[in-house]
Amino acid sequence: MNIRPMRIDDLPGMQACNLQNLPENYTMRYYLYHAMTWPSLSYVAEDHKGRIVGYILAKMDEDADAGENAEPHGHVTSISILRSYRRLGLAKKLMVQSPMVAIYRASYVSLHVRKSNRAALGLYRDTLGFTLQDTEKKYYADGEDAYAMRLSLKQ
Amino acid sequence: MSNIPAKRALPLKESGLFKELLTLYETRQLKKGLKTADQILKKFPEHGETTCMKGLVLTHMGRREEGIELVRKGVRLDLTSHICWHVYGLIHKGEKNYEEALKCYTQALRFDKENLNILRDAAQLQTQLRIYDALVETRHTLLKLRPAMRQHWIALAVAYHLDGNLTEANKVLDHYESTLKNVPDYDVEHSETLLYHVRLLEDLGKFSEALAMLDVNAKSRAIVDRTSIMEIRARLLSKLGSEEAKHAWRVLLDHNPECYEYYRGYLSNLGLSLDATDASVPQALAVLEELSMRIPRATTPRRLALTIASGDHFKQLVTPYLLSGLKKGIPSLFSDIKGLYQDQSKQQIIEEVSLTALDTFKTASDSASTSSDVEPTTYLWTLYFLAQHHSYVGRHAQALEMLNLALEHTPTLPDLHMFKGRVLKRAGDLYGGARCLEDARLLDGQDRYLNTKSAKYRLRAGMIEEANVLLGMFTKKDAPSPGADLEDMQSLLYLVEEADAHNRSGNLGPALKKYMGVSKVFDEIEDDQYDFHGYSLRKSTINIYLNLLTWEDRLRSHPAYVKAALSASRIFVAVHDDPSIATVTVTKQLTDAEKKAKKKAKKAAQKVQEDTNKKTTTTPSNNEDKGLEPPTKDDDPDGSKLLQCTDPLERAAKLLKPLATLAESDIEVWIAIYDVSSRRKKYLQAAKALTRAAAIDAEHPELHVRRVEFRQIVSSLPAPAQAAVAPIVTEAAARLLPDELSALTFNSQYLQRRSTDPRAILAVAKVMAKLQVPRDQVEGTVFTALNADAVLDIESARMILAFLGAVKSTRAEEFRTRCGERFPLSTVFKTLVELDELRRLTIAAPLADLDKPEDCP
Repeated sequence: MNIRPMRIDDLPGMQACNLQNLPENYTMRYYLYHAMTWPSLSYVAEDHKGRIVGYILAKMDEDADAGENAEPHGHVTSISILRSYRRLGLAKKLMVQSPMVAIYRASYVSLHVRKSNRAALGLYRDTLGFTLQDTEKKYYADGEDAYAMRLSLKQ
Repeated sequence: MSNIPAKRALPLKESGLFKELLTLYETRQLKKGLKTADQILKKFPEHGETTCMKGLVLTHMGRREEGIELVRKGVRLDLTSHICWHVYGLIHKGEKNYEEALKCYTQALRFDKENLNILRDAAQLQTQLRIYDALVETRHTLLKLRPAMRQHWIALAVAYHLDGNLTEANKVLDHYESTLKNVPDYDVEHSETLLYHVRLLEDLGKFSEALAMLDVNAKSRAIVDRTSIMEIRARLLSKLGSEEAKHAWRVLLDHNPECYEYYRGYLSNLGLSLDATDASVPQALAVLEELSMRIPRATTPRRLALTIASGDHFKQLVTPYLLSGLKKGIPSLFSDIKGLYQDQSKQQIIEEVSLTALDTFKTASDSASTSSDVEPTTYLWTLYFLAQHHSYVGRHAQALEMLNLALEHTPTLPDLHMFKGRVLKRAGDLYGGARCLEDARLLDGQDRYLNTKSAKYRLRAGMIEEANVLLGMFTKKDAPSPGADLEDMQSLLYLVEEADAHNRSGNLGPALKKYMGVSKVFDEIEDDQYDFHGYSLRKSTINIYLNLLTWEDRLRSHPAYVKAALSASRIFVAVHDDPSIATVTVTKQLTDAEKKAKKKAKKAAQKVQEDTNKKTTTTPSNNEDKGLEPPTKDDDPDGSKLLQCTDPLERAAKLLKPLATLAESDIEVWIAIYDVSSRRKKYLQAAKALTRAAAIDAEHPELHVRRVEFRQIVSSLPAPAQAAVAPIVTEAAARLLPDELSALTFNSQYLQRRSTDPRAILAVAKVMAKLQVPRDQVEGTVFTALNADAVLDIESARMILAFLGAVKSTRAEEFRTRCGERFPLSTVFKTLVELDELRRLTIAAPLADLDKPEDCP
């Protein structure tokens, strides 16, 4: 599978892939916001026909909830691979490419996952190396808790 | 402001109040604002600016109609006030009526030439409307007014760029950069600006200058995006024919060894390609081999080699590739290599290799010896691979045989059930397909992918209610319905599939509604760009912003839009031809399961409705234009009003319009445009559409039908109308069907040429029916589609059956029965009674399972 930086015309394919795979969905406007703010952070995996089979939608976290001199850090808004394209290590390959450190000097990357989503949790922890940081109560619109996870990017 | 007209001038006290009103509006203190406005209006009821402001405040307070009425009144009261026109512009902008909004802003600027807010809004509207020459003017004015603002410089350069004046854009950027001092380190915005400048130089063909700029700023760390630096560098060096290019591409390959573009760039720089017919294939293969040795973790060079290798060398390469994939149990192995099947010999080799592998792994699996290094799952994945292989080449029975073996081995692998469903669907067994997909879903209820697929297969089988029950497991619980949430989330897959399902079952209202829902998604995405005309300039993300504009201009070339526009326009044409179908509600017997599903869905929707009614008043909204946008309440949920609209052809024409440029190679588009314009009596347009269609595929069956139809239309026009039609139309009609041929002769000649093509046979029958040929002859022609030499497929057979139904043929049942024999697995040709039974079997178990709570994620 071809792994490359996201282009603007990938957005519908990413949106379709997200809707098919994950319970957290976004309108095109939110994808555009990512693309127009951090144009180099997101990556896609595509098959031979140019269909998007996986993506990472990433951003830099702006809220400085860690105080005044908060370290800049990245945030994975969404990452997923179509079920039929699993076991190729695509998620990891996408994650590694995202240049959060190179461009924004991020010291770590964070993400949220539904407490009940065991499959995703496994991917983030076992495959990508994220560790559990915190539980955020009622993070999701339907009242479910989220695990906040982190991956250090310091070399 | 010395010569204020008397009717606008206010005494000191009211003038103060008016300023307060503006501030109150800006800070969204609407109630106070309203009071203040009323205070002024009490004394000066004819004060235009206050009237407008009061209207604006009211629209934000939810009193929309009243507010807009007041704004209109206010403008009439003071036609030379920039405030009045500005407010009126805001209202239009909120309604996404950009043309009218720009007119208002232009008026406002006549009376206040240097108003920054109005100028900025005008620039955004000009960009949205692609009026680039005027945009350059506006950006110039803004820069003159505030030359110290960095984004005004960039904005002017972008305006020139969009207007096609790259040289001037370059000058502006040069000038801007020369004024810069002390740019901080790691300034991402500055970095983006420089990357834009480099692109501009590249677009201008100034490759050396672009490279110099890139290198200097990469070195000084002014450009921080390393991937972009490496990509642009390699590209520029290649264009310059530099010796350094090879190294630059190598650096990229090390950086991301799975990016196809980098391999293409590397090879092309060496004068090689990924074209299997190229004479330089051996050299390219050697390069790829060297690369895969150097970067062993990369799969791409090995996969690319398969594309260009052939014969024994191919076998040598593909064998380890397949075996490693099978041993790792990679589910996508087949879809990864099926692109190679265009080459018959490669297909043959892959079959041989995988059959041999199956034997080996089967023995290993049977002996179950601990000494074997083969995992038992390898045998399973090989069966799965071969099933896909057989299905791909049309051997349904063998595919099913492999799958059944695999399922015996491991009944719990969802992929197997999914693929079995796909095989059945391909063979026409839609219910069996849906059943298998549901089996897959039940193995992992938490996986939305399986859920979506199962719902999709139900929609394909026409089980709309049942599909929605599944979809609802992952949609928001507070949405009015699963479909409403999916529509809000812009799921094109859902909208198109459900629309098609309704369309197939003759529910034209709901079908049309969903097709228009697709079009609405594209309207939204088109509107989405609006805010970025300002935002991207502030963020300096110009490169991607320029790509955004190009993409938006071609947005409706998306297959989902093309599909929806074509289908909707066919429905609009059908109701135009026979308005009675708009009022006939499709009544059909619901099965018990259907009733149950329907009741359940309705109950859930009702509850949600109640919940949201309670909530809506407290939901906060960040939308600053709240109230300016028209309310979105849907008073036509099932599309019946839409279906009964008085202007179906105009609506169809509007849907099709973008396709004439964005999907111009699609013959269906031109046929649809013809169908609409011929009925709107726009004969010139109709003639052009058919001419375009003929240029794409002169023998297309649907075109054949229209050639005859168009001649009939043109020749039966009453004399005065015929004289009024441009000669170009009659000439085109004659070119489409030569005058010396009778329609009947033309028709039978076509049949002779295409006698084994079922679609052509159908087209000929349609023409015969139109020409009033006796019924038995029409039927006789149609039945030749069942001849041994005709290549009949399920979809064509279905269309022929529908035609026989439409002309009320007495032989329709006979045709159905014979198709049933021809396609034994297919459910398409079953009788209604048989279908109800099948449907019941498909859903019985899953629906029962739904009552268990643990099934819900």
